[in-house]
Amino acid sequence: MEDIFGQLSQQAINGITIGGVYALIAIGYTMVYGVLSMLNFAHGELYMIGGFTGWWVLQIFSINHVPVMNAALLISLMIVLSMAVSALLGLAIERIAYRPLRKAPRMNLLLSSLGVSIFIQNFILYFQGAKVKVFHISHLIPEGIRTFHVGGVVISFMRIIVILACFFLMVILTLIIKKTNIGKSIRATAQDIEAAAFMGIDTDKIIVIVFLIGSALGGAAGILVSLLFTQVDYYVGFQAGLKGFTAAVLGGIGSIPGAMAGGLLLGICEAMAVTFFPSAYKDVVAFAILIAVLIFRPQGLMGERIREKV
Amino acid sequence: MKRFKPRIKIGPTSVTILFFVLSLAVIPRLLPDNYWQSIFSITGVYVMLALGLNIVAGFTGLLDLSYIAFFGIGGYTFAFLCSDHFGIHLPFLLALPICALTAMVSGFLLGLTSIRLKGDYLAIVTLAFAQIFKLLLLNLDAPINITGGVNGIYAFDQVTLLFINIVTPENYSVLIWTCALLVFLVSFRLKASRIGRGWNAIREDELAANAIGINTTRMKLYSFATGAMIAGFSGAVFVSFQDSVFPNNFDFQQLVIVYCMVIIGGLGNIYGVIAGAVVLSILPEILREYGGLRMMIYGVALVSIMALRPQGLFSAIPGFTKLVKRPDKDETGELRASTDLYYSQDKDETDVKRYTKQAIPLLEIQNLTLNFGGLTAVDKLDFCLHKNEILSIIGPNGAGKSTLFNIISGIYQSDQGKVIYKDLDISAYKPHRVAKAGIARTFQNLRLFNELSVIDNIKISRFCRTKAFFFSAIFNLNLNKTEEKETHETAKKILKMFGRRLTGYRYDQKVSQLSYANRRRVEIARAMATGPEILLLDEPSAGMNPQETGEITEFIKELRDRFGYTILVIEHKLNLVKAVSDRVIVMDHGEKICEGSYDDVAKNPMVIEAYLGKKGKSGNQTNS
Repeated sequence: MEDIFGQLSQQAINGITIGGVYALIAIGYTMVYGVLSMLNFAHGELYMIGGFTGWWVLQIFSINHVPVMNAALLISLMIVLSMAVSALLGLAIERIAYRPLRKAPRMNLLLSSLGVSIFIQNFILYFQGAKVKVFHISHLIPEGIRTFHVGGVVISFMRIIVILACFFLMVILTLIIKKTNIGKSIRATAQDIEAAAFMGIDTDKIIVIVFLIGSALGGAAGILVSLLFTQVDYYVGFQAGLKGFTAAVLGGIGSIPGAMAGGLLLGICEAMAVTFFPSAYKDVVAFAILIAVLIFRPQGLMGERIREKV
Repeated sequence: MKRFKPRIKIGPTSVTILFFVLSLAVIPRLLPDNYWQSIFSITGVYVMLALGLNIVAGFTGLLDLSYIAFFGIGGYTFAFLCSDHFGIHLPFLLALPICALTAMVSGFLLGLTSIRLKGDYLAIVTLAFAQIFKLLLLNLDAPINITGGVNGIYAFDQVTLLFINIVTPENYSVLIWTCALLVFLVSFRLKASRIGRGWNAIREDELAANAIGINTTRMKLYSFATGAMIAGFSGAVFVSFQDSVFPNNFDFQQLVIVYCMVIIGGLGNIYGVIAGAVVLSILPEILREYGGLRMMIYGVALVSIMALRPQGLFSAIPGFTKLVKRPDKDETGELRASTDLYYSQDKDETDVKRYTKQAIPLLEIQNLTLNFGGLTAVDKLDFCLHKNEILSIIGPNGAGKSTLFNIISGIYQSDQGKVIYKDLDISAYKPHRVAKAGIARTFQNLRLFNELSVIDNIKISRFCRTKAFFFSAIFNLNLNKTEEKETHETAKKILKMFGRRLTGYRYDQKVSQLSYANRRRVEIARAMATGPEILLLDEPSAGMNPQETGEITEFIKELRDRFGYTILVIEHKLNLVKAVSDRVIVMDHGEKICEGSYDDVAKNPMVIEAYLGKKGKSGNQTNS
């Protein structure tokens, strides 16, 4: 009995960590959906690129797996650069693949984003190979604080960093959306892009900003997970993208707080499922949740039902 | 107008048939070795797969990302039925249809759960399904070995067809290309049938398709299931050829390849899709040294085709698409006038029966109310439309006029009240049932099927009055033949009612090529073609110049006087309203504020207030 309880609390911690990451990915989906009403299939690849950027930074700044600079600085540098590279890539994608199709049928946009996703994935496969890239971070974290034991639950140092980083980013984002002028413009554009343009908001600029923020958060999610599991490969974006989307739908697509809640909920559900099912079926649980939500409550937990304009 | 038709036309159809003949009879004998022989067979499989996907994504416009899973379901079903794996050894000709049916049923079931979802959501759910499918394939080897896990299932029974053993690669290419020919014929026939037109309508504008009497949910489901069936069929043939089946045969990359074939060929373009499948199957073999770049190129191809040539690469070849320009000369060989305005209407004065308003109530609106959140768009509305009456509804913008139309036509459900049509309570009817019952509408903002020809736009409306189903359409049975003829003639007859504006060369023009006024006319013609008793016209003269407005005014009157339609019309141009109406209803803030003849209504102080605002108040309140 106690064993089950210990296992559950351990899984709860795991769930919150991965849930925070899902939330970061989901925010990207939900924000882009908010302004463009499109599903950005390529979003998962930004996550993967985030992970790879982190690995490249680590390779450059370490000799024989020993970092050449302060560990805390290096980890921060990895996160910041991952976010920057993913954000720039997100901008490029918007410019090249989506902007020319703004007025095209929805299916064309979806196919275009599918094409972007395939391209990025295979670009990395071609130039970096299919082999898993391992993060040698043993030298980054001092011996004594690698793991903590709290009442039978083991929490690694990295896990704490991931949780803190996720929540920090989410708080920052909430502040931007709630308090700043840009946030206000984003909300206005999401509500009605034409009306926002009439009110003097440069909606093209807002779309760019949305891609910037969403992609940066996706990149952050990528590097955080890679640090946590100390590995990344070219194919991680696909699954992560699907999970992030599930989280966004669960929370109600278009709603940023919804995406955060949906991410956490999905992470916890998945972690709990691992206690009861073989782990091979972990993904089945997530997708079953996705299908169930879409069928029974398509507006998600926090979304609003939208009536089609005629 | 008679046109001379040669018996064999050189066009894409004949080229394609020639291609199939070559594929079946000549090419398998010419190929140098078994390696190319097998490439050729795989090409045939891809042709089938692409044609199947073309039905779902091309004809119907559904982004189905689980398509490859149905390919897998067909393949694995075949493996179960024709190998030592479970010890079942069915003959090939029996196993093949079972595989196709299994895939179709799975498609149908998946469709049932998700087909109501809109575009992107459907894509994601189907993607999730494909992922679950692959996970199951990989993991269902324990505790009981069902799928064989990563290793798959291999060594199937030898295929015997009509006492011929299919062993050599050459035998297989003939078998596979025969199947491909079958799939081609099926999709060709479906495309030309009412089913294909219904699917096209859904792709172009789902709501409009629903409003002219197509049960869109059901048709999408059929499309999904048809695609799944073809995928399952191809899957069975494919694994039989490969003599083994693995989960990796059905991964996401394969799906992307098939999508690329369809998109390069042009969504919905059967010939293009075949060409796309052949090119993308053969080309990578020629460019094998660049194999690593293959998927990257596909990604770039998807993006650039969507941005630059969404209609596909093969649409530029003559004959692949119909784009009819306005000819300089008319049928008699004389030069056309520079504008069509001067064509007079062909009037048939022998037709003496004139219709006038009768005192029989046809459509009754009772206490109708609809709230949007806090706003009451339609507020306790009551009125009655009589047989052969022209009733106009006027009122300021935002008065709830179009909302009323949306409720009557079933697009919105009212919160309270009833819509009674000839003793039938149609309040809860979905749009397609309203259309079928006999009420057709036009849309204020034009919702035509823009990429389809004028005549196809009209033909689609006959969907709800025809019955030919898959079997009849595929084998072109008598039912299908007579209905097709009837559809064609009705469409022409209705277009002729608009004088010569929409006839002749216009039949084959895309609606997007037409002028705004002509599009309005097509929209009315489309509503008429559903065979309604009541026409709901939402601002029929919007965007027309005074001359055209005068003409449409006459036409609305003709619709009632000569053709006996009962008409409910929303209009802002009061001279039109004055000319056509038996009665006028004025709405404001969702309520009926006045009802009566045009002259009575025009004098009513409340109407004047609604339009011009109250005396003494600053500003007006016309916009709410």
